[in-house]
Amino acid sequence: MKLGDLLRLAISRLGTGKLRTGLTMLGVIIGVASVVALVSVGQGATSGINSRLEGLGTNLLSVTPGATTTGATRGALGSATTLTIEDATALTTLPDVAGVAPELTSSRLVAVGSQNETTSVIGTTPAYPLVFAYQMWQGSFLTQASVDHSLRVAVLGNTTASNLGLGASSIGSTIYISGLPFQVVGILQPKGGVGFANPDDEVLIPVTTARDLFVGTDSVRTIGVSVASQADMSTVTAEITSVLDQRHGIGAGGTPDFTVTSQTQLLSTVGSISTLLTVLLAGIASISLIVGGIGIMNIMLVSVRERTREIGIRKAIGARGRDVMLQFLFEALLLSVSGGLIGILVGVAASAVIAVLAGWAFTFNPVTVAVSVVFSLIVGVIFGVWPASQAARLDPVVALRYE
Amino acid sequence: MSEPVISLEHVSRVYDTGKVLVPALEDVDLRIERGEFVAIVGPSGSGKTTMMNILGCLDRPTAGRYLLDGTSVEDLDDNGLATVRSRSIGFVFQSYNLLPRTSAIENVAAPLAYQGVARKERLARAKEALERLGLGERLHHQPTELSGGQQQRVGIARAIVTEPALLLADEPTGNLDSHSGAEVIDLFRQLHATGRTIVLITHDVDVAEAADRQVHIRDGRITA
Ligand SMILES: Nc1ncnc2c1ncn2[C@@H]1O[C@H](COP(=O)(O)OP(=O)(O)OP(=O)(O)O)[C@@H](O)[C@H]1O
Ligand SMILES: [Mg+2]
Repeated sequence: MKLGDLLRLAISRLGTGKLRTGLTMLGVIIGVASVVALVSVGQGATSGINSRLEGLGTNLLSVTPGATTTGATRGALGSATTLTIEDATALTTLPDVAGVAPELTSSRLVAVGSQNETTSVIGTTPAYPLVFAYQMWQGSFLTQASVDHSLRVAVLGNTTASNLGLGASSIGSTIYISGLPFQVVGILQPKGGVGFANPDDEVLIPVTTARDLFVGTDSVRTIGVSVASQADMSTVTAEITSVLDQRHGIGAGGTPDFTVTSQTQLLSTVGSISTLLTVLLAGIASISLIVGGIGIMNIMLVSVRERTREIGIRKAIGARGRDVMLQFLFEALLLSVSGGLIGILVGVAASAVIAVLAGWAFTFNPVTVAVSVVFSLIVGVIFGVWPASQAARLDPVVALRYE
Repeated sequence: MSEPVISLEHVSRVYDTGKVLVPALEDVDLRIERGEFVAIVGPSGSGKTTMMNILGCLDRPTAGRYLLDGTSVEDLDDNGLATVRSRSIGFVFQSYNLLPRTSAIENVAAPLAYQGVARKERLARAKEALERLGLGERLHHQPTELSGGQQQRVGIARAIVTEPALLLADEPTGNLDSHSGAEVIDLFRQLHATGRTIVLITHDVDVAEAADRQVHIRDGRITA
């Protein structure tokens, strides 16, 4: 029998029991849809995190208090208070460093007229936009003079500005941070970024002002260091380590009380965690695909029993074992592959909806789709071959007697 | 005439039910010439269907030799037997045995599909065969939408559409009223007139009258 004839036979057969066909396909549809959706969600989440991290600049080194120790426990990053503003200043003298921006952060109520919100107030230096890849929208950033003289000036993140009802015309106006008046000198361009903390919701003031008015000590949460060239990342990391070791009196073999992390390191860690998660999700989802395959096998075995007489007739009118085998195999394949295709549509639609709800970019991955199609084909073959060969092996005389 | 189409030499068929051995055919010798119309007559349980299954290459003898057109059937494997059935044999079954949920024309076209005939030609030939049997108006009816006599005629159309050398009919009138039965027998006579070899199996002596020759079988042995 020709392939076209086999296909026509399978289609007309599946068309005669639509409910049964639909229910059998449902198993594969659910399996494939969940594989496609979960993989897409995993990738969407990963690229969301990555674009957030890349938004920070890939030449960024973060120096945080607290030691990196393996094995022994250590405090959460930033919980120790060993880095100072002076440490940050010392790092500016290193040759391959483009900028150093310490962050002295506290959470404060910020108010303009009747509008107010609580947000992060970060004391920093003029290098902040360079180090963390911000652009000015209105006005100008903090100057070295404002840091030197602990001026009460502030630069607003874009979200903070709009939350407070401030716009282009608000440069020079006064806002109140914990009740103290500050002059707005600039507003940043929005950075976008997704999930977690919104990078556009912050107020930047001179680091010295933050120390004097809000924090009281000069221990900083982070020092961001922008390296002039990507190639110098490891050199600069070593330089930072040696400068800080020296300043903190840590001799050779001693445990440093700070950590230098590069952005690429963070990216690759996040990358490997999310890949693991994606694989895990896909693995769980493929279990349902296998269950769907067993559903197909079940229905095919029932079908072979029900149609024993038909098989006998077909053999009597000239069908070879191979023809009968292929007829049933095609039915199983048609069930699994059309189930797979519908499952892909459902999965893609579901992941598009999830992407919109979660606010990350919808990623359509043709590889996942191709793999799903191949996988459902394999499911069809694996779970279809046995029932089909049972059909092919039937003795025509016995099959014709079957009631 | 030269070679006989069918030659059974000391053929036996013993069914093994697992508990007992049932000898359905015992030491049967039978020759049927090309173009003959033979009726095999015998009471119920005498081994007629068993004989038809062997003649039609659906089953093999447990002993003896069956030569079909000079070829020894024991030497063929399952695929070989399927090929012989497809090329040379047409079956008409006692219980019609049409493919369920399949229209008359698709039923008749099915044997041609197994011969690898293209679909267009298949349908044309199936239509022709059905028209010949007076079913030109019923091409797209399902078996459940046809009367017993009409279903039997679809079955006959399916048996002759491949123009087989040998037409085997197992009680083709068993389920029909006498009028439809007479129509079917008439049809066999017409087919015989076109030169086909026909083996008609029946336990109805009146039906057997239509054939050129009668072979009587009882308890698995040919008696006359
Ligand atoms: N598959 C089988 N297993 C065991 N015994 C069988 C089998 N098929 C047939 N027989 C036995 O073989 C004998 C002949 O059976 P067969 O079907 O050939 O009779 P028949 O002449 O066609 O009868 P009827 O006119 O009732 O159709 C019977 O005794 C029957 O019980
Ligand atoms: Mg019988």
